[in-house]
Order: sequence, then structure tokens, then C-alpha cells
Amino acid sequence: MKCLNSKWRDDAGSIDFIQIVVGLLIVAIAAVGTFQALNFGNDKMNQQMRYRKAMSIARSYVEYWQGRIHTDFDDKDPRVIQGNLNQSVDPTVLDLGDPTTDADDVMCYVRYGRLDPIDLLETGLGVDYWRINVKVTWWEPGTPRNPDYEQSVIFTGTMVSAGL
Amino acid sequence: MNAPSIKFRRDDGWTFIEATISIVIMAIMVLGLTIVLLAFREQLDRSWAVRVMDQYGNDVIEQLTHELRNATDVEVRGGVGNTSRIDVKYLDPIRHDIFRTSNWRADLRNVRITHGNNDLVDPSFPPRQMGQGESYEIIQFTLSQYAADSPNEWERQDRNRRKQSFLDAAYDIRFKLRYIRKPTEIGGRTWSVEKEFFNRVYVRNKNLIVKKGITD
Repeated sequence: MKCLNSKWRDDAGSIDFIQIVVGLLIVAIAAVGTFQALNFGNDKMNQQMRYRKAMSIARSYVEYWQGRIHTDFDDKDPRVIQGNLNQSVDPTVLDLGDPTTDADDVMCYVRYGRLDPIDLLETGLGVDYWRINVKVTWWEPGTPRNPDYEQSVIFTGTMVSAGL
Repeated sequence: MNAPSIKFRRDDGWTFIEATISIVIMAIMVLGLTIVLLAFREQLDRSWAVRVMDQYGNDVIEQLTHELRNATDVEVRGGVGNTSRIDVKYLDPIRHDIFRTSNWRADLRNVRITHGNNDLVDPSFPPRQMGQGESYEIIQFTLSQYAADSPNEWERQDRNRRKQSFLDAAYDIRFKLRYIRKPTEIGGRTWSVEKEFFNRVYVRNKNLIVKKGITD
């Protein structure tokens, strides 16, 4: 039957219009996919930069409390007992982006809980050192402002008080 | 009976309309791809420059932070522009009875931070082969007391509540770099990005007996 005849190689070897269009379509789809992948990689590297900056901000806050514990410490201070979890915190700039506009700025929020007194029970000194936990949270550009998309970094440090 | 067939291909060659439409489609695609590739190349160049700047900024901050953590004393003097000359004094790691000083300063002309004996933090910055119109600038390199120039209102007020021993040993390092990309064609716009690198350091040894040296 003629309908079952294969007609792969019965022309003179040139390309026709439909094949051109299909070929161009394939190239276009491949190009779009490639550029999407490159954009994705670029966004991931930007996220890494912001993560690194958030770590630096968290560490700076730990340094502040390490200095306070070492020199200027009152263990009855409310900020020591409960941290700043219940207070509104001014946001800190995480990524400035284009300096001519504020629309692309990424802001982060710094929180820390109670400073934990640690007694090793071996020294007989009472509180041997204090443990500090700082958490920095932010949202990546283009993500909704809900807990599911929240990015965070937690930094922990310790310090002995000046009495030692 | 022959089965009905749909003929997608003709063996009669190209018609004029098919050839014209094919050429127009190919020309539009090539033009579009060229524009996208050029834009993406510009995007990648900017992205690379910003990452180079970010790496250098973090290197400077980390090295200075590390030196300050081990320092016994710090002296800050005014530098050129919005920069400071920082003298970090520390115990010699081999001989614990003498002190050495590491001098940090910003070289605005060559866009570099030097320390010690004019050593560079990173010899590969700024990149030697930059594109046309590209440049970096050091906007700020300062070491100040805790919250002395902080944009945070709470920190500025907190400063008034702290003891002098804390204020004398807690420092803020601020390092600001700017990358500028001037247009290469007439009518283009200059693109720039600024990054601030910040660390707060508590110089522990300033409040410890070790600042007087270690003698056997």
C-alpha cells in the first residue's frame, strides 16, 4: 500500500520552508532555555553575596555583646534577660544595589534572644561565660513577605564577663 | 483504495513567498539574538565587576578585623578624603616582650588598601585589564568608635549609655567601594554600583593585662 511507503530520501537533498521554520523554532527555544539558566545562576550568586553580608552583620552584633559582657554588663538589663525579640527593630541595609534608587534595596532585620548564662559546674565560679545568639532575617527580591520565603542566618558566640 | 495523506513537503522547490518569509524570519531572529547576546554580555561584565569588588571588600574587612582582634592598641589618624590611617599595635608573635605596628591606609589614586610595609591586601585588585569606561573608587575607609557615625538612631543613643572602657575598645570598620561603568557610545548612560563593607570589632586586649606585654 502506498500510504506505508517511506519518503525520507526521495527529494533532491535541499531544505524546504517547513524544515527552516522548525529549525529556527528549535534554536529559539534552546536560546531562551540557555538565557534562563544563566539568569538563574546569576541570581544564585547574588543570593550568596547577600548571605555573606548577613553573616557579617550577625557577627558584628555578637561582637557588640561580647564587648558589653566584657566591660559594661548588667545581668538585670531587660535587653539581657529577654533580648530584643519583642521590640520593633530598625531594618539594616543588606544590599544597596543601584545607588540612584531605593526601589531595589534589600533590608534585613536583626534579632537576638536572651543572653544565656552558662555554668560549667566545675569551676565553682557561678556563671562561667555567657552565650549570645543573633539571628538576621531577610527576603530575597521578588519573593512574598511571608515566613515560607524568609531567609535567615544565626550566629552564636560566647564571652566571659570582666570579673574573670 | 489509497489512504488519505496530508502532504507537508513539496518537491517543487521554493516559491518566492516562502523564500522571502524565511529570510525575514531569519533576519529577525539573528537581530534578536544579537541584541540579547550583547545585553547579556553587558550584564555578565557588570556582574563580574561587582563580584570582584565584593571579594576585595570582604578581604580588606576580614584581614583588618583579624588584626584588630589580636591587637593590644589602635591609633586612628585622619587620612586623605574620607579615609583613616589606622595603626594597629600588637605583640610580636615570636618575642612577646616587644610590640609591632601595622599601618593601614587607603591609596585613593591606585584604589588599594595597604598595610604593614606597604603590603597589598590583594595584588590582583583593581584588575589590570579593565574595559573601556570601567573604574573603581574608594569612597570611604574609616575606623571609628562604636556608633560614632552609625546611621542607626538606636545605636547613636546607646553610645551615650556605654562605659568609657567599652567605647575605647569597640570599633566600627567601614569600607565603601564604587564601581563605575561609563558609556562607550554617544548617548549612553553611566552605570554605577556602591557597596559598603562593615564590621564591628571589640579589641579585647585593650582591656586585658596582655596590653602591657608578656615577660617571662
